[in-house]
Amino acid sequence: MISKLLAAGAAAVALVATLTGCSTASDDHASHDLSSTLTITDVWVKAIPDLAEGDMTGVFMTVENTGTEDVYLTGGTDTTGITETPLEAHEVVANDAGEMVMQLADGGILVPAGGSVQLMPGGYHIMYWDVTKPIAVGDTITLTLNVSDGTTLDLSAIAMTIEGGVEKYVPNGEGEMSH
Amino acid sequence: MTSSGARSRLQVSRRDLLVGAGAAVGAGAVTAATASALAAQTATNAITAVGEATEPFFGEHQAGVQTPHQAHGVFTAYMLNDSANLDTVRGVMRVATIEASRLCAGEPGMSDTDPTIATVPARLTVTFGFGLGLFDRIGMADKKPAGFAPQPAYVIDELRPEFSGGDLLIHIGSDDPLALAHASRHMSRVVSSIAVPHYAQSGFIRANGVAPHSETPRNLMGQKDGTENPRTEDGFAEQVWAGAETGWFAGGTQLVIRRIAMKLDTWDKLGQGDKEAAIGRRLASGAPLTGDGEFDVPDFAARNSAGLTVIPDFAHIRRAHIDDPQFRFLRRPLNYDDGINPDGTPNSGLIFAAYTTNITERYVPVQQRLADLDLLNVWTVPIGSSEFVIPPGVEAGGYIGQQLFDS
Repeated sequence: MISKLLAAGAAAVALVATLTGCSTASDDHASHDLSSTLTITDVWVKAIPDLAEGDMTGVFMTVENTGTEDVYLTGGTDTTGITETPLEAHEVVANDAGEMVMQLADGGILVPAGGSVQLMPGGYHIMYWDVTKPIAVGDTITLTLNVSDGTTLDLSAIAMTIEGGVEKYVPNGEGEMSH
Repeated sequence: MTSSGARSRLQVSRRDLLVGAGAAVGAGAVTAATASALAAQTATNAITAVGEATEPFFGEHQAGVQTPHQAHGVFTAYMLNDSANLDTVRGVMRVATIEASRLCAGEPGMSDTDPTIATVPARLTVTFGFGLGLFDRIGMADKKPAGFAPQPAYVIDELRPEFSGGDLLIHIGSDDPLALAHASRHMSRVVSSIAVPHYAQSGFIRANGVAPHSETPRNLMGQKDGTENPRTEDGFAEQVWAGAETGWFAGGTQLVIRRIAMKLDTWDKLGQGDKEAAIGRRLASGAPLTGDGEFDVPDFAARNSAGLTVIPDFAHIRRAHIDDPQFRFLRRPLNYDDGINPDGTPNSGLIFAAYTTNITERYVPVQQRLADLDLLNVWTVPIGSSEFVIPPGVEAGGYIGQQLFDS
């Protein structure tokens, strides 16, 4: 069922994800062009129209890997000019008390070879910290996504309202803050 | 506009036959059991084809007006909150257009919290409307289309605020009530940053498959409602869709929603003859009392042997009739049947929906005539009334309202 949903998402008419023409290889020994094996669609960000309600947000998307090797989404950089803090790849897991908490995804978010992964509220997401400007519903932000193997992908994300997917954040397993 | 439902049904049926034939050959013999299983499978897929059918979201006009009427519908009106202005309304309409277009295609919204319900659209349409208050709020009061103004108070009205007004409208139709409920809930979330729900009027006609889409639907009084509706592209262009001379509004329409409570308990005490005299048509065929077929032109001058007009002076069709077809409008009403009133009478009636190029010039005069004299008023009470502009449609990449906001 999940794979069917993902396939439906990938075929979506309203694509707001824009991949750059080619990936930017940060080193010379990148042996394959990841931009041809990763298809990213349906990129959106949780709107934060009022920074008084928090200066963090999450970016969600559907990522399909048509290649033959596993890759990981490891984080990224905002290119909108709304934060200088590096973007982090996060996961949401149950802690010992059974609460859902979000934390850094160890090693990044896996996009399995020949498979796909959905970043969504209450699950994997790309985390924005220290946002300095409000993001209104319908605004578009831009970011660069880092992929394992040193390639990057430029994305744009449209801002939408969500009411679900609120978890606690556990930095390095110490202390807690609400998302 | 065509119904994609018929198309998908045919495709699925053909595939079934091929698959079924292959299975039979593989087994080496066509048995009665195989034929029976094939028939059952074909029937099953004919049913799921209703769910898989889609209506196009993008185009010159918004869907949900000229679209063959779905079995279920809901008109949800919203009031704008304090954060609504041109910028925030524009932003929300960008997102709402993306999400609505996906749902209509049978794909979950990007921010959908229940994606599993979204894959069976059943000819889902999502139609957006802008109320008088929205134009004022976004600073575009001078951009209201000609004729889009509050209706006068009619003497028959007993309007209730909870069924009247509204700044923003989202009208959703589907042949499946679950798809409709999901889309309704998701779209309410999508606009929640600028608007709060004011009313949600849900209704129905016949289920898909029970009657041809071309058949005029019946209301709960048993009357065919919409016999004089436009049925051709030219008819819609003339009566419903705003022309190129209307600037940003070209391709849009104006909508009047009136909630009409029916006193079915007293209506039921009438005999068939009285019911037919009140409307001026035969109940069974929908034919005018002076004709044989539903689409026969009523002869309002015809008199019986006693010298009385065959179609009485008080009959609904005499009062509602408009000689010039250019001044007719599209009726696309839903029935509602919401249990019983506190006094035990049926809480039933009609969510009357009229689409016209100009409410003031083309709708109000007819409504005024009906308010002044129409025997049906004895058994009907208007308890809600709203007006909305239905902005033109857009192509993929655009968003509903864009032509107005950019004008």
